[in-house]
Amino acid sequence: MSDEEHHFEHRADAGASLTYPQQAGTIRKNGYIVIKNRPCKVVEVSTSKTGKHGHAKCHFVGIDIFNGKKLEDIVPSSHNCDVPHVNRTDYQLIDISEDGFVSLLTENGNTKDDLRLPTDDNLLSQIKDGFAEGKDLVVSVMSSMGEEQICALKDIGPKS
Amino acid sequence: MQRSPNDLSQLQATMRAIELACSSIQMMVNPAEAEATILSFCQSPQPYQACQYIIENSQMPNARFQAATAIRDAAIRELEFSAAEKETFLAEVKQATLGIHGADVQFIGINFLESLVSEFSLSTSTTMVLPTEFHDQCQKSMELEYLKAFYCWARDAALSMTNKILDSDSAVPETKASTAALRLMLQILNWDFRYSKNGVEGAKGRKNVFSARVGNDNNLSRRSECTVVQPGPAWHEVLISSGHISWLLSFYRALRKKFSCEGFWLDCPLAVSARKLIVQFCSLKGDIFHSDNGQMQENHLLQLLSGIIEWVNPPEAVSKAIESGKSESEMLDGCRALLSIATVTTPVVFDQLLKSISSFGTLTLLSALMCEVLKVLIVSNAEEETWSWVARDLLLDTWTALLVPIESGGKTGLLPAEGRNAAANVFSLIVESELKAASASACSDDVDTDYFQASVSAMDERLSSYALIGRAAIDITIPLLTNLFNERVARLHQGRGITDPTVTLEELYSMLLIIGHVLADEGDGETPLVPKAIQTQHVASGESEKHPVVVLSSSILNFAKQSLDPEMRASIFSPRLMEAIAWFLARWSSTYLMPPEETGENSGSGYDNNHMVQSLCSSKALLIFGEHNQGKSVLDLVVHIATTTLVFYPGEKDLQALTCYHLLHALVRRRNVCVHLVALDSWHHLANAFANERLLFTLYSAHQRSLAQTLVVSASGMRNPDASNQYVRDLMGHMTNYLVELSSKNDLKIVAQQPDVILSVSCLLERLRGAARATEPRTQKAIYEMGSTVMNSILIFLEVYKHEFAVVYLLLKFVVDWVDGQIIYLEAQETAGVVNFCMRLLQLYSSHNIGKISLSLSSSLLSEAKTEKYKDLRALLQLLANLCSKDLVDFSSDSTETPGTNISQVVYFGLCIVIPLISLDLLKYPKLCRDFFSLLSHLLEVYPEMVAQLNDEAFSHVLGTLDFGLHHQDTEVVDMCLRALKALASYHYKETSVGKVGLGARAAGSKDQSGQMSEGIFSQFLRTLLHLVLFEDYSIDLVSAAADALLPLILCEQALYQRLGNELIERQVNPAFKSRLANALQSLTSSNQLSFTLDRMNYQRFRKNLNHFLVEVRGFLRMI
Repeated sequence: MSDEEHHFEHRADAGASLTYPQQAGTIRKNGYIVIKNRPCKVVEVSTSKTGKHGHAKCHFVGIDIFNGKKLEDIVPSSHNCDVPHVNRTDYQLIDISEDGFVSLLTENGNTKDDLRLPTDDNLLSQIKDGFAEGKDLVVSVMSSMGEEQICALKDIGPKS
Repeated sequence: MQRSPNDLSQLQATMRAIELACSSIQMMVNPAEAEATILSFCQSPQPYQACQYIIENSQMPNARFQAATAIRDAAIRELEFSAAEKETFLAEVKQATLGIHGADVQFIGINFLESLVSEFSLSTSTTMVLPTEFHDQCQKSMELEYLKAFYCWARDAALSMTNKILDSDSAVPETKASTAALRLMLQILNWDFRYSKNGVEGAKGRKNVFSARVGNDNNLSRRSECTVVQPGPAWHEVLISSGHISWLLSFYRALRKKFSCEGFWLDCPLAVSARKLIVQFCSLKGDIFHSDNGQMQENHLLQLLSGIIEWVNPPEAVSKAIESGKSESEMLDGCRALLSIATVTTPVVFDQLLKSISSFGTLTLLSALMCEVLKVLIVSNAEEETWSWVARDLLLDTWTALLVPIESGGKTGLLPAEGRNAAANVFSLIVESELKAASASACSDDVDTDYFQASVSAMDERLSSYALIGRAAIDITIPLLTNLFNERVARLHQGRGITDPTVTLEELYSMLLIIGHVLADEGDGETPLVPKAIQTQHVASGESEKHPVVVLSSSILNFAKQSLDPEMRASIFSPRLMEAIAWFLARWSSTYLMPPEETGENSGSGYDNNHMVQSLCSSKALLIFGEHNQGKSVLDLVVHIATTTLVFYPGEKDLQALTCYHLLHALVRRRNVCVHLVALDSWHHLANAFANERLLFTLYSAHQRSLAQTLVVSASGMRNPDASNQYVRDLMGHMTNYLVELSSKNDLKIVAQQPDVILSVSCLLERLRGAARATEPRTQKAIYEMGSTVMNSILIFLEVYKHEFAVVYLLLKFVVDWVDGQIIYLEAQETAGVVNFCMRLLQLYSSHNIGKISLSLSSSLLSEAKTEKYKDLRALLQLLANLCSKDLVDFSSDSTETPGTNISQVVYFGLCIVIPLISLDLLKYPKLCRDFFSLLSHLLEVYPEMVAQLNDEAFSHVLGTLDFGLHHQDTEVVDMCLRALKALASYHYKETSVGKVGLGARAAGSKDQSGQMSEGIFSQFLRTLLHLVLFEDYSIDLVSAAADALLPLILCEQALYQRLGNELIERQVNPAFKSRLANALQSLTSSNQLSFTLDRMNYQRFRKNLNHFLVEVRGFLRMI
């Protein structure tokens, strides 16, 4: 996590960078952070010192936003951390194919067919059941650091 | 006593059965059966006669023992006796207690009395399902009729055994009984005396019929170990003039001498009980002593002290003995006795006590004792709690008891001259021991708990005691602190770059905390004055510059100033040291920096002339940091230091929190300081950096909010409102522009998701929120403009960031705070704009969130999402509540004739949006719960007609929550629900009485599909509320609110009320209670000319009636 690397990345193309350097001390609970090269949501921040009269350091507990695994990191609070670029896009769900892929309608009218259904049974059934009941469903797709996943579901059907 | 022969044979049979059982247990023959026999005997009803017979006639000690135990159990079980039975029974107990039946039974007898007393004291009684009134009567009769007699029996028992115990070499059975007797006496003296004042109920004696257990009145003394004992004049003879105390003291002394070579003796039960009793005597107070100017009490205390002194004097010898293995319990009890004495006397009397019997005063003894303990502490430096810790805390409490100024009594903590020296000695050792502890801990790495605030507040109590001692002799202690401080600063400079400064840094840290406490009090949001002890003490030199407080303050300011120099900062000023400096400056500035000008208000406050003059001298000297003196330059310095901590200590969140929340807040708290602040270049520099430079964006975002608030508040120091508003515009203009520009970008959807943009937006929203929270009439205009400029952007961001919970929350919170600050000032047109904006915000939020399901593999992420939802909802409720306030308080210039926005419509609509999102589960969050009910009660009070318009689902949801809230443990929630009920019922009653429908079908009750009749809502609530006020525990504060709700409910449902009242009367078995209840119910609705209208007068009458009613009937209706 050296600083130079980030500056380089940042300068090359700010819009497209996967991460952004941010001072550890400013990262709050509920924000995002990269730990061990995984994008995480911060669920706990605490500070401590290196020796009584030393400098502060931050202790982060993060949860991988894709696989739910818990990760931890300690960073001097004046140093920079990587903050992942997390994007969320809403698509209308058009179809669920038999091989486990979904078909989504993009804003400009094209379809997006490269996304798999989640493997977890619970999540899977929430989507499948909703779809089977004929509801109009909008799914939110979260993408970060080259990965994508369906993260939320909303019923916009005529029923409501 | 005459007994028929038939009875007699039965009694003999019982006795034999018990004797047999006892011996079979002894010989282990069939023990189960024997135990069963004894157990059934113990549990048989009214076993008194049999027991008495056994005790009088049996030859077997074990059987006598069992009989006595059985009496005890039964008596506790069956508190009701006839008068005659009681007399015989008590006579029996008395004989047992006095040892007529031997030491074993005596022990049981005393023990029995002990459990009897504890049973009658309400706070320790067991649950027996008897009316509370009965408990009260028991307590009263116990106190007035028996307590003293029991005490005398115990005393006589102890007296009678004195010689036997003193003469025998080993432990005799009498020891056990004697211990029990002393314990019983102690317990009786611990009784919560309520009826002491000539039979009239004392101040403490006010009955609380509304909650089950009477809480201990702890206001008298904040220390748990020391309760004042006030049994009243009736006890004078028994305790004071009978020579009883001198017997006790000499008894203890004799035993102590006899067993002096056996170290264990000090901890044996007899010694412990005797000492406890002696200590308890030290707390005697009140009109048990004749009113002779305290002479009698002084004699009493002197007598005790002369007995106690050998426990603690000479201190050196005592502590040496303890260190080499002697038990510390006697010494600690000595300290406790001193604490008790200090609690009931003034410093002067306290000091004098010992002078009449020795060459030194009590203060000197206290000081010597404390010094000795501190020395032990310094040497041992033990991690775990040792006796010296306990002793130190006890003695510190003693000092505090002596020195803490009592507001009402006019007793100041001034010590006699000799006592001042004593205090100074103690203080210097205190500082030494704290420095020692600091240097020892400097390099330890266990700093996880070391968050500044936490560590200060944990030490705060101790530090405040130190401060009291230090302030008792400022002419000695403050120069001492100055020297020690300067020494360490010099040491830092000498060793700079050569030696590791950590130890010295930690010592300075600790000194700053101590000095901060000695010099100034915590303001708790108000402007603290210079502590009285510092103001009033005579200080030799007249010149300001030489006043010890000024010298010390200047030393510290000079030292702090060096942190501005980059090199010094790098080598000396660690973040932790800066924390202490920021904390100290905040505390010190509130008191000494530009204090409010003296207006001579001190005159006539009861000081004698001499004091007056000194006090003026002292405070005049301290004005050196005032507005017309060095104040401005010191203020400038403080701002520079604050800026330094924000700029040059990146990532030091704790330090910056102290700067933002304490130091800077302290500076802007007073307007006269703000006037100077806004004129300072350093302040301009800070404001400018905040508005225009990237640097301060690296502060923690919550700190940025606080900083914005501080800067906006300081605008009140500008010459006139226009200038203040301009100041705010200049400060916030850039920020609002950035947000507006960003929100109008074409590619916002893409840009907005970038982490750096999210960071900027979050920080700016926090800053706007901080500014909004600083709204004052003077700056209201500029802050309104700030908000209305970004209204549209806020809606755009709410859409763009709908998945970014953290940003959504900030958006909502900003709007909440902004509306809160603005709404009451807005003109009609502005109001319409703001209300419209809020509606769109609500709609947008609900369209994003209703029907949405978050999907995640991680349960903790899901629960986070839930918490976020809760916080959002709370913000929305606050927003609605803030909007409501427009209808209550309105400062706008256009009055009623302009057709304003209909707030009720808006709020009603808002509630319809919010209600589906609120579940009973969510109401378990206490803050959300309060917010919800405060909004609900407000809505129902102001717009009850709105409820009639709610659809069925929403309506039953509202009522469900009301029912839930009525049974909430939070008094405020219950109060709000009662107010809501009152509003609803009185609306309905008033409407129907003029022929309108009111709540119509909902009030009438209905048949559901299965044909079952369900009650109307008012019937349900009448039942619930009656049950609540009659049978449940609640705070006395709720009675008025309950009355206000009950009256309209009764009026709405008169028939039902009659029925419920009759049922209640029928249920009473006891005829006396029955008629009392009937009368009480009758006068509840008829006395005080109560009528059928709902006006103020009538509500008031009903409150009174209900109060009388409850006091009358709750005593026997409620069972404990």
